[in-house]
Parts: sequence; structure tokens; C-alpha cells
Amino acid sequence: MTDIRDGNGLAAAEKLYTQYGSRARELKASGKKVIGYLSALGPIEIMTAAGVLPIRLKGNVSEAISKGDAYMETIVCPFVRNVFDAAVKGKYDFLDGMVMPHQCDSIDRTNETWNYTLNLPYWHFLNMPHVADDPSIAFTKEILRIFVKSLEKYTGNKITDEAIAKAVAAHNQNRKLMRDLYDLRKSNPPLISGVEMMKVCVAAMSLPVEESSALIEAVTKEVKERTPAAGNPKAKRIMLIGDQIDDVAVIEAIESTGAYLVMDDLSTGSKMYWQDVDVTPDPLQGIAERYLRKLKIPTTFIGSAPTYQGILEERFGHMKNYVKEFKVDGAILFIYKYCDPYGFEVPAIKSYVEAAGAPVLYLEDEYSTSSLARVKTRIEAFLEMIA
Amino acid sequence: MDYFAGVDIGSTMTKVVIVSDKIVASLIGPTGPEHRKLANRVMEEALKEARLSFDDLTYIVATGYGRINVPFADRQITEITCHAKGLQSLLPSVKTVIDVGGQDSKGIKILNGKVMNFVMNDKCAAGTGRFLEIIADSLGVPLDKIGEISLTAERIAPVSSTCTVFAEAEIISRLATGEPIANLLAGIHDAVATRIAALVKKLNVEPDIAVTGGGAKNVGLVKALGSKFGRELLVPPEPLITGALGAALMGKDIYEKYAAEGLKPSRSGHKLEEATFFK
Amino acid sequence: MAEEKKGRAVATSTAASIPKFVRGNLSATLKAKEEGKKVAAAFIADGQDEIMRAMDIVPAWGESFSGVCAAKRDAEKYLQKAESDNFSRSLCTYATCNIGFDMMREELGQAPEGAPWGGMARPDMMLGNGQLLCDPRFKWPQATQHYQQDVPVFVTNMYYPPWDPNGDHHEVEELYVKYAKEELHETVKFCEKITGKKMDWDRLAKTVELSDKTWDLFIDTYELRKHIPTPMDTGDAMNTMVPLTFNLGTQEAYDFYVSLKAELEQKIKDGIGVADPEKFRVIWAAGLPSWFALGDFQYFNSKGVVFPVEVTYRGCEKIERLDLPKTNDPLEHIAWRWVRYWTHWYDAAKKRPGSTPKVERIIEYIEDYKCDGAVFHSAFSCRSWHAGIMQQAATLKKVYEDIPILIMEGDIVDISSYNEADTHNRIDAFIETLAAHKARKG
Repeated sequence: MTDIRDGNGLAAAEKLYTQYGSRARELKASGKKVIGYLSALGPIEIMTAAGVLPIRLKGNVSEAISKGDAYMETIVCPFVRNVFDAAVKGKYDFLDGMVMPHQCDSIDRTNETWNYTLNLPYWHFLNMPHVADDPSIAFTKEILRIFVKSLEKYTGNKITDEAIAKAVAAHNQNRKLMRDLYDLRKSNPPLISGVEMMKVCVAAMSLPVEESSALIEAVTKEVKERTPAAGNPKAKRIMLIGDQIDDVAVIEAIESTGAYLVMDDLSTGSKMYWQDVDVTPDPLQGIAERYLRKLKIPTTFIGSAPTYQGILEERFGHMKNYVKEFKVDGAILFIYKYCDPYGFEVPAIKSYVEAAGAPVLYLEDEYSTSSLARVKTRIEAFLEMIA
Repeated sequence: MDYFAGVDIGSTMTKVVIVSDKIVASLIGPTGPEHRKLANRVMEEALKEARLSFDDLTYIVATGYGRINVPFADRQITEITCHAKGLQSLLPSVKTVIDVGGQDSKGIKILNGKVMNFVMNDKCAAGTGRFLEIIADSLGVPLDKIGEISLTAERIAPVSSTCTVFAEAEIISRLATGEPIANLLAGIHDAVATRIAALVKKLNVEPDIAVTGGGAKNVGLVKALGSKFGRELLVPPEPLITGALGAALMGKDIYEKYAAEGLKPSRSGHKLEEATFFK
Repeated sequence: MAEEKKGRAVATSTAASIPKFVRGNLSATLKAKEEGKKVAAAFIADGQDEIMRAMDIVPAWGESFSGVCAAKRDAEKYLQKAESDNFSRSLCTYATCNIGFDMMREELGQAPEGAPWGGMARPDMMLGNGQLLCDPRFKWPQATQHYQQDVPVFVTNMYYPPWDPNGDHHEVEELYVKYAKEELHETVKFCEKITGKKMDWDRLAKTVELSDKTWDLFIDTYELRKHIPTPMDTGDAMNTMVPLTFNLGTQEAYDFYVSLKAELEQKIKDGIGVADPEKFRVIWAAGLPSWFALGDFQYFNSKGVVFPVEVTYRGCEKIERLDLPKTNDPLEHIAWRWVRYWTHWYDAAKKRPGSTPKVERIIEYIEDYKCDGAVFHSAFSCRSWHAGIMQQAATLKKVYEDIPILIMEGDIVDISSYNEADTHNRIDAFIETLAAHKARKG
């Protein structure tokens, strides 16, 4: 395994980022079951409690889709298509199974395509609701219970409430460690760059929770100890908003202009780490509440406040806090083409975040670096504009 | 006297402007395949026109889509910022700029020469000069004539497809049914204008509106765009040089800002040599 | 091509009364205010029809309005309006067309001039639905609220057990029914709050009963199309679906199918078919049609190809085939009907290794309606019905038979990527494969 010691946290993250899934491959060779999942809705606590390794799947923005299009329509989310293509090409040949949380149409409508094409020993579609009222919490608990049972059947091991509670504690601790690392971005200049942070976030979602925590701790220690680079106090502080951005290409485009990426509202970033699972007598209650109510994703409808402004606060209030806490000068809203859940939020997010004091650049693109030059020009022009 | 140069390397044309307290030279040359590496030639020509040597230049700013590949430039600034700057000096009343280039189109909102907001098209060719180029080619009409011809149309033959490939097929089949070329060209210009207008209307469009870039040289397109915005659009005397002029003026601003504090901005230190467009 | 808009001649005279239904539904929204009724922006096939009808809430069907704009080739200005506030052109065009229209109506304080059939009224509420099939059903109302901030949105959630070839859906059906029932109760509570009226449960029960009768009659009517030559085509069905889809729970809807059934029976008696001679029978296996190009169905018919059956808009089934548990709670009945509508193909799919319920449904229709091939339509802006079509087509070939399949490409509303000549070329090529396939089979 990648050696994580004092002083080499960033190097370890870099390696795990570049060779994504390498640790899962090693663990698989040593007999551990590896379950892949898509999206921030994958209930990692339950997978950890089951003794399997959950790995969040990602694609490769530098690789053109070559095999996946034979099975899946090009109107599907470009991210989903790219990951599917990677899976078809054997990049994830170490997987024993997959969990497909019901996040959006692009996942839900292609579930059978994935299942029947990859033909893995274990497959589970986790039918998460789109609303968060009380009946939906009760339903989610049942859906999670079914998931627990199916994992028990597959692994042959009972998943006790104690094991789930233990996994909840481990993942909450992991989230706290990551939030501590995020704190180091608040200074000016930030102690850790956006590119480095992305590598850590990506590496972290490919590891068993204890190893992920050790990695984050090592990075935090290393970053705190290194001599801070002489920064440019006038450089703009940027926040990146989107779903699964899991590559440094866009961030390099931002930071190569001299700006700092200091915060994100990404499903691979702060969304994964900002909300803990509450400890509840029935551990599934806390898990249901976190994934359905606390995790603010566009596929979970929120709208209980009596006024529209109140609803906006419920949906996007956390971004207003980020702008303040991380002293954000501008935000980049980066949405994949064909994404209905995020696409329909663009006017609302844009006006909300701008009212919070950060001008927003909205970019719609593929999950691909093929148009990076164009994206770069827009980012540079945006930074020149807010300079 | 201090001289400032702006180099705008677009997808099809390379433009150079040299300013002092006025424009002392402006030159346009093709970027095209065989000239790609020769941005320095255009610069040499411009220097000749201004009777200057390279060492007379105080500061050089590169812009446009090849901006990062101009080693002799001291600074790179995007064409969006440069267009706003250049246009303000040419047509100060303009608040909205529509730039129609060979590979992309953009809309820019400006206030006092500064960018307030901007939009750019995605990688689809519809709504760019490339679209017109393909159609002109398949109709066998010279690109520089299509605008004028479209103005002679009796009616605008509607073109439903904005996809370049489909539109081309649609045009060919319509030609076969006897629709005059002028009407089809009017339809194509209308379709391109529709796409560009849809893009630019994402901005809170305020008059005056100007058109720049290669598209501004096409009278048919300027007229079609005007009809989408319900007003006549302004076109600078030489619409192609707006970006390069803006770049030169940005350089002048940067230099003067430093000078005001008794400082000098750092230079690239490179000599005038072949721009390695493809590294 | 663009300017010469082709009218779609319908084969049945009953279908000719459909524009009246569509228009009636639009004008009902405009008249609602003076009649003291509340208007709800609503979605088809989401289980809320009977609740609205029983509470005198007038549904404003956004999907229908966008379809009308598309059929009139008059959607572009609304699409552009939505685009002007950064709604991407790759999003669901039913939604963006409607949102663009709503944005204009908000700015003008009235329906924009020239709106098809007078447009649609500003709603008093927006009802969405989280389902297993369509994200815009909750994102669209939410996005619309950005422009109509005082109009409350309620989103319910109705799921059915997802298909799992290794699982047993019977074990979880009750869980899904319980959840759907609770969510429908939440819908009723919301509607009571907005209308200020209590639900009349007896009236709801009667409305549900009428819907069930309509479901049965619809299937009885459509099954007459099994006859050779078929008396009605999918081109007509894209019209005759209107009463079931938009007017469920009303007497007019039921009466419409009484007339349609009588007409089809008469046609069969008289030996009148859609195509003469009828050369090939094809199933419309999935996908919403290009509303601006319904004339393509006539193109098929003119070449002797008929569609006696379609999956699209066949949003019902004979009630007895669903084997619904008895209940006195109309909401529970709706919930069971909803869940079983989807799951009643699961057992058949289990029996054929490698199959799926969607494919099983297509196979059932191919056999019952004696089809020679299958046509799918892929609309680029709509993932909900059109992602996964390639998988269905491949599975059909694999588990059933290597029948000729055509996947057409277009959109529901956006005409800009449609090409008639190309579409007709592909149809011609498909017909050649149908001929070759039939000759081979003998």
C-alpha cells in the first residue's frame, strides 16, 4: 500500500489520485470485497459496516469515450457516460459489485444498461427519494434496511447496529478531519492550493475510511509545517460549484492565472464532508436524515419555507456562508451538459450567490478536457472582469 | 515617445496594432495553416509601417486564441477584456459588443471600457463565421460576397436546422427545388443571427450595440443581427483590429500605472522571433 | 421543411375531436379565475389527476402546452427566452419552452401576444412529482418559482419497486404502496390548504371508479387494433391519448373512448385499414414523438407500414390484469394501481433470462399485435423516456428475436436538429430491412 508517513501526505495523495483505484486493487488481491458506487448519495457508512471497501467511481476527463457509446445514448450525462466507458474498458475490473443510488435520470434510466453490460456479482439500485418530508424519511430507512439485507446476503456476514454505529463514528471523524484541512484554505494566501485539495479529495474517496483519515491527517500536518509560499494578496479567491468534478484540469485553469481556489460546493468536495450523521438509537435514522435532508443536492427537492427567499436560504444558504468564511471574491458554476437537476438551478444559484457578494461565471461543458482552451479563456476573462 | 503594441492571434487572422498617443500602425495578416508560425511577420510589417524597430516598443500585449504562443509579448490578456477596451476608444457610446469570429462568437457588456459581463458560444459552429464559411463553400459563392447577395433576397427562406451538417443538407435540397441562392443566403444569415442573438440576449443588452470581428464585415449578417435587436448596429471602421487595438491600449494603461509609481513593468525579454503556435 | 407546416390528417374521425380537448384544457385554465377555481400546474401520469378533479382544481398541463407550441412550430421564441436567463438548450425542452412562456407572461402581466390558443393561465400552485422517470417533474416547478415567487410548489414522491433480476418485487410492493399512499395524502393536505376546501372523499372514490372504467375501456378500444388490417395507427394514438392522459377522471374522457371504440368496430366490420394494402406492422416501442413532425407517421403509412400498437402514452392497463388488493381508501387504490402498473411485467421478465420488464412489455405487444419490427424514437432533450432505449433494443434482439429495429433521432419540441430528408431516408432503409426480414421468414 501507499506509505503514509509524516511529510509525505501530499505525495501519497498525488499517487492515489494519479493511479485511481490502486489501493482498491491491492485490497481486492488480499481478499477484500470492493463495491463501487456513484454520486454523493452512496451510503458509505453501511458499506464500511459490511466490511467491504466502498469506492466512489470517477471517469477520466482526458480520455475520449470509445466503447461506452455502443450501449448508452449520448444524451446521458457526460460524466455518467465517461465512467461507464471506463468500466466497460476494464478500468474497474477489480469491482465485486456496484451500488447505484437513485440520484438522477441519467443514473436511474441507465441502471439496466450498467447492470446488464458489466454483469458484476453484486448489484443494488438504492431507490433514494426526491423529497424529504416525514414519509420520505421513513421510506428511506426501509430502503436502507433492504440495502443492508442485500449486502448481508452477498457477504454472508450480519451487519449489526453496533457495526453501523462504529462506521458512522469513523466517517464522522473522517469528515471532521477533512473540514480541519479545509480550514487551512481560509488564510490569504491559502496554505493548500485548490489543485492539491482536489487530489486529496479524490484520493480520499478511494480508500477505506481509516486510511482516508490517516491520509488527511498526514496532509494537514505537512501543509501546516511547510513554509508558506509568498502569495499575492491581491489574487482573487474563487469558489467552484458543481456536481462531480474529480479532476484538476479546471482547477489548474483557474490557478494558473494566479487566482486561488479556496472553496467548493462540489459533490466530491465540501458536500461530502460538511454534514455529519447524527448518532441515533436506530443508526439508520441518522443516516437517512443526513443523505436526505442535510446533503443539499439538486435532486432532493427542498421547499418547506413559507417564502421563496426562505426556500433559497434552505437550498443555498451554505454557499452564502462559504462566501463569508472563505472570503470568496468570485464563483465558477461548472455544470455538465444534459444535466437537468443542476441545469434548472442555474438562474437561482447565480442570482443567490451574486447577492451574497460573489460574481458568478456559469460554464456548461462536457466531462472532457477537449474544450479546455475555450473554458480557460472564459475563466481568464472572468478574473480580468472582477479584478 | 513610448510605443505600445497589441497582437491579436485569432483562429483565422493575426492582427497587430501599434499605438503611441494615436494609432501609428495596424496590420492584418492570415493566421492560416501556412502562416501559423509567422505572427512575427505581421509584427515586422507593422513595425515597418510605423518606421519603428522592435526595440522601440515599450510594452507588448498578446490576445486572442493564440495569445499564449507569442513569446515576444510581455503580457497575455483575453480578447474579451481587449475588445471592450478597444471598442471604447473607437465608439465610446457602445455598451454592448457582439464579436463574431471565425470559431466563436461572444457578447460583451461594457462600461467605461471595462467588462461588466460576457458570454461565449459553446463549441458548436452554429452562430459563428465557420458556419457561414461552410455554407458559402457548399453553395460555391465566395465568402466575401455572401452578405451582399443575401441583401438581394426577395424573401428569407427559413432554415430550420442550426446544426451545420443538417443545415448544409437542407440548403442543398432547397437549392434543388429552385429556391434562389439569395433567398437561401438570407435564410442562413437569419439563422446565424438568431443563434448569436440568443447567446447575446443572456446579457442585459443595452444600446448602443456594436459588431466587431470578421462577421462585422458581412453586411448581410450585420443587417440580420440588427433585425434581431430591433435597431441599427454600429460597426467600427476596421472591425478586425478592435482586439489588437485594445491589447495595445491595455499595455499602455499597465505601463502608465507603473510609471505613476516610478516603476516599470517586467518584460518578457524575448526577441522578435517565430511564434511557436503549436508547441 | 420549416415553412410548409404539414397538417396531420387523422385516420379516425373521433380523433378529429382531440384539438377541442386540448384547447378546452387550455381555456379551462384561463376561465378558472372567473369560475372561482384554483389552477395547478401539473404533470401527466403522476397519480394526482383524480385528486385535482375531485377538488375542482383545474390542471394546467405544461407538457401539453409545449407540445402545442412544438406542433405549431412556434416554440423557438419561448426556448430563446429561457435560454436568455441561462437555461441550457440541452435541458428538457417541454420545460424550457414553458418556462420561457411563463417568464414572458410575468414580464408582460398577461399571456404574450400570439401565444398558441391564448396560452395558459398563471397557476395558483405547482404540483410536481419525484418519480423513477423524470427529474424535470420536480426541477421544472422549482425553476418556474424563480419567476413566480408567490406561487407555492408541492412535490410528492411516487416510486415503484426498481427492477432487480435477482430480487423479488412482491416482497417490497407493500412498502412502495404505503409510501405512495402517504405521499398522496400529503398532496391532498396541500391542495386543501391552497383551495381552502376539504376533500370530498366520496367524490374522490367515484372519480377513481370512473378512471378505472376509463382504463378498462381504453384497453378494450386499443386492443381492437390487433385486427388485420389495423383500423388505427400510432399517428392517431398520439392524439387519442389526450383524454386518458389529460382528462382522466372525467366523463368526457370516458365518452370519448366509447365513440372511438364504436368507430374502430365499424371500420373492422367494413374492412377499412390505415394502409391499403397493409404490408408491415410495426410497434412504436419507446419514445415521445417529434410533435413538429407527426407527418412522419403518414410517411410510414404511405409506404404500407402501420403501427397497431405503441408503448408511449399507453399509461393504463386492464384493471383485472393488475390483481389489485381490495381497499376502501381511494388513495391506497391509486397507489396500488400505480405500483402494479409497472410491476405486472416483472414476473414475465423473470421467466426469460436476460430480459427486462420494459422489453417484456414490447415482446407482449409484438406478439399480440403481430408486429414485424420495432421503431424507437430518441429525443435529445429528454433523458427520462429516451435514455436506455439502446439497451432495450439490444435486449429485445438478444432475448427475443433479431427483428428489424429503427432508432429515430429528433426532439419533442426543438426543431433545430431535425432533418426531414434524412429522417425519410432512414425510414426507407428500415422498410427495406422489414421486407428482407419478412421474405427470409417466409
